[in-house]
Amino acid sequence: MSHAKYSVINTPVHNIDGIAKVTGRATYTFDVTLPGMLHGKILRSPHPHAKIINIDATRAMELSGVKIVVTGKDTLGIKQGIWRRYEELCDEQVLPLEKVRYIGEPVAAVAAITEEIAEAALDLIDVEYEVLPAVYEPLEAIKKEAPTIHEGVERNVNVTRHIEWGDVDEAFEEADYIREDWFKCSGQAHMCMETRAAVSSFTPEGKLTCWASTQSAYYTQGLLAGVLGLREGDVRVLAPYVGGGFGGKFELDAAMFCSAVMSMKLHKPVKVIFTREEDFIASKRRTPMFYYVRTGMKKDGTFCARESRMFSNGGAYTGMGATALYLSGFFHSFPYKWRGYRYDGYRVYTNTLPSTSMRGFGAPQAMFCSEQQIDWMCADLGLDPFEVRRKNGHTEGYEVPGQAFIASCGLEQCINEIEKWVKAKGKMPPNRGIGISSCGFMSGGIFNWFDSPYSFSSAVVTINVDGTVELHVGCQDIGQGSNTTMAIIAAETLGVKMEDIKVHSGDTTHCPADLGAWGSRQTLMAGNAVKMACEDAKKQLLEFAYAEMGINIVYDLDIKDRWVHIVARPERGLDYFELVKKVLRAKDGQRVVGRGYYTPHRKGMISPAYSYMMQAVDAEIDPETGRIKIHEVMTAHDCGQPINPLGLIGQLEGAASMALGYAYLEDMPFEDGKLMNPNLVDYKVIKAPEMPPTGIIEIDTYEPEGPYGAKEAGEGLTNPTAAALGNAVYNALGIQMKELPITPERILKALREKKEQEAQK
Amino acid sequence: MINDFHYLKPASLKEALAMYAQHDDCKVICGGQSLLIVMRQGMLAPEYLLDIKHVKELSYIKFDDKDGLRIGATTTHREIEKSDIIAKKYPVLVAMEQKLASIQTRNWGTIGGNLAHADPAGDPAPVLMALKANIKFGNEKGDNTMPLDEFFVDYFETKMDHGDLVLEVHVPAPEPKFGCAYQKFNLLDSDMGIVAAAAAVTLNADGTCKEARIVLGNAGPTPMRVTKAEDLLKGKKLDDKLFAEAGQIASEEAQPVADIHASEEHRRHVLGVLTKRMLKKAFEQAQKAA
Repeated sequence: MSHAKYSVINTPVHNIDGIAKVTGRATYTFDVTLPGMLHGKILRSPHPHAKIINIDATRAMELSGVKIVVTGKDTLGIKQGIWRRYEELCDEQVLPLEKVRYIGEPVAAVAAITEEIAEAALDLIDVEYEVLPAVYEPLEAIKKEAPTIHEGVERNVNVTRHIEWGDVDEAFEEADYIREDWFKCSGQAHMCMETRAAVSSFTPEGKLTCWASTQSAYYTQGLLAGVLGLREGDVRVLAPYVGGGFGGKFELDAAMFCSAVMSMKLHKPVKVIFTREEDFIASKRRTPMFYYVRTGMKKDGTFCARESRMFSNGGAYTGMGATALYLSGFFHSFPYKWRGYRYDGYRVYTNTLPSTSMRGFGAPQAMFCSEQQIDWMCADLGLDPFEVRRKNGHTEGYEVPGQAFIASCGLEQCINEIEKWVKAKGKMPPNRGIGISSCGFMSGGIFNWFDSPYSFSSAVVTINVDGTVELHVGCQDIGQGSNTTMAIIAAETLGVKMEDIKVHSGDTTHCPADLGAWGSRQTLMAGNAVKMACEDAKKQLLEFAYAEMGINIVYDLDIKDRWVHIVARPERGLDYFELVKKVLRAKDGQRVVGRGYYTPHRKGMISPAYSYMMQAVDAEIDPETGRIKIHEVMTAHDCGQPINPLGLIGQLEGAASMALGYAYLEDMPFEDGKLMNPNLVDYKVIKAPEMPPTGIIEIDTYEPEGPYGAKEAGEGLTNPTAAALGNAVYNALGIQMKELPITPERILKALREKKEQEAQK
Repeated sequence: MINDFHYLKPASLKEALAMYAQHDDCKVICGGQSLLIVMRQGMLAPEYLLDIKHVKELSYIKFDDKDGLRIGATTTHREIEKSDIIAKKYPVLVAMEQKLASIQTRNWGTIGGNLAHADPAGDPAPVLMALKANIKFGNEKGDNTMPLDEFFVDYFETKMDHGDLVLEVHVPAPEPKFGCAYQKFNLLDSDMGIVAAAAAVTLNADGTCKEARIVLGNAGPTPMRVTKAEDLLKGKKLDDKLFAEAGQIASEEAQPVADIHASEEHRRHVLGVLTKRMLKKAFEQAQKAA
């Protein structure tokens, strides 16, 4: 259903920064070295909950090479948070003044002439704590007698979220079958290749420059200015290359904050790089969730109502957790039509590592519960899980009552394709099963909790006299390839080639503001801004071309492959480069500048557009040891018009690796508030040689709100996998996995329980 | 953070042994795949590192039909994995190496380093013990050869003293009617074993069991033989029931310790399953063997 023949879009291209990366020329924050630069290290709390009575840095300052030690007292003490529109959710002092709330929380920072000296100095800082009782699990922390983690926060409930539509109780009454289950979803580390990192340089002129590993240079700029008492314009954030984010890098972190605080005091550049262990214990994580799900269905498989309650382990601070709380509840309804839907989410503070957003933003947890329960209900009623999903699935033009409008939806085709694929595989051997799961995801959030006065996305395009194009964008490339995506959209719109475009990003001074890389927003939002900017510039070129060519005004002009031509008569035209030269002369030597922006208006509560998908996981389980072997992952996927098919494959494979990890490998066990596996020996991630084959079937749809019909592709692909694996285990062995990750021990336990139940019958 | 250290780079074995004898606070490195991890964690901070990577005399794979296989201490895992003669004569060693960590680790890590490190979760030791391997180590004054069975003392501890280097691993020539198999239990194929079992079976001409060896990995402070189960099998006509019984004994004899990766109960259970399976696999190989 392609609406146009594209010259650049949908042609596979390698990332435009790929060569710089693989040859080691790409300058990550880690690589930044400035004259006179000092190295910072952070002292962290050994206690999950304790009052800070006194911090004495005398001995540390005596160590030769140590230049400064700072604590909360050396800061403005501002409680910050990324939900800066809501004061009560700004609850985190990066260097706390009064108490620490989790093991690993920063209490002091040191800068010294070498990293080794800074590290040695940490042992010489004497901190006196008064240890307080601590609580680690949300269902404990919400009890009346639980210790108070934040003063004045009753029962440690940080945020609540209620979502409801339809008459839920009445809809339940129509159900022939109602099922309820409890689920427990674990946390997960973002595990970016690049750990948190920042280099701050404050100069006597009162200007701060901060190289940061961030998903949003603009957010980092705003947050740093806020906590340091500077004007936003006096803070320049640079993030030319970022080694991954996955939802964990758009808040203010201790590397940014501590390096900036120390640089401001010393007027010297300070670099802070987290070790891998620090990244594990003190950089937030995917939100662990307890889900109660009650679903009502008619005998024929028609969905009636769903009611869910969710308690999430918020850890010590809010972070992005408030958004995850909402999105988990919203996507828990996806991708189905419910007559009545009710969700109550409670985010509870505990004395553990704060939880936050992570690729999928609460949806992988929600889908793990929903998509498994649907399969079990189908089995209970003897219904076909494909048919039931088709029957209840979203369709084009559907409105999620009061929440969202679905302008494009390829869900049914996704289900059909996966059904074909599964059926073609035939009957599975013993102990092997295929599980399915469908879901959808947003293409950027509509919310503005950051209270940005700027457009959500902006772009500026400048055409030089030789026809080369400078594209300035605020969207942030964190390895996902957004700069390449933007270059493709620019090249397509302007009618030039990829090599004509130079993308500038990751610089708050020279690039326009943009909310950055989160919630799968950039392809749609920044893509629209780029398209608009390029259309603006192109219009200026074409205006001149009309005059130059002296053609009848009823004709349309366009540019494709550097050829400016009459659309109806493509052979009549001008060379693009010649045209640009003339236009500049006509503009008194001014370069052609186009501007574009995008802010969603009247697009519901959540997002301007939604992707859809169904995934199948083929897995085999050793019933004696419980070990899982994944044979294959196949995904049918509707992301509207794909922009770069190669980028899409990269996103799919990355998502499958991360989501399979979440499903059966990755876990963050805590004992008395202490993370038990903060290293890459004990924290298991799938390595390249162990990746099972993954495939993708692209479903062609056109999203009217997206640039060239494009929507989300990448984050949403993390959502279905844990549920699909759970369903595969169910189909292979007949056991219901209600807890993540699905480990061998949990499988054997479920098998034993099943045996016992069968014996009782 | 890794401490600063003096780097010693001997050109010959003689020089290496002399240097090692001279420096008290000295650790041997030959790839660092085990040592650098503990140094990075600050658990070891030696003043000297003796790098024997370049001691060429210790890098060899030799095979003789009578004498068997001799592998020099600085031979890398990858060299063992890629050796045609080992693939032909001791395929279990190649299969074990193929799943030992990553290619990068196998390119750097050495057989001598692995055994000297004495991590009970190491892959080579159980297989080599099942193959009745001997280990030769020595110092300036002389050398010493012993069965690998006797080499390990405790977690990360061997019979070697300061000044001793692992010199060679010797595996006897394969017997007729012999089979050997190894498997580790883990969640990812090339990850460290949560537990592991190696089994070797030699059959008599009449098909009864001449000898069986069962070695468990990560089931206690050292790789451990399960002699009680081995004795059970000796002289018998082997079948699934005996394998299951041997597995049960292995599961009971093991001394695994629980951690976040698996409970003690699960480890015992899986050790039993692996023992049973590896015995069966080794038995089937032995039946087919000449």
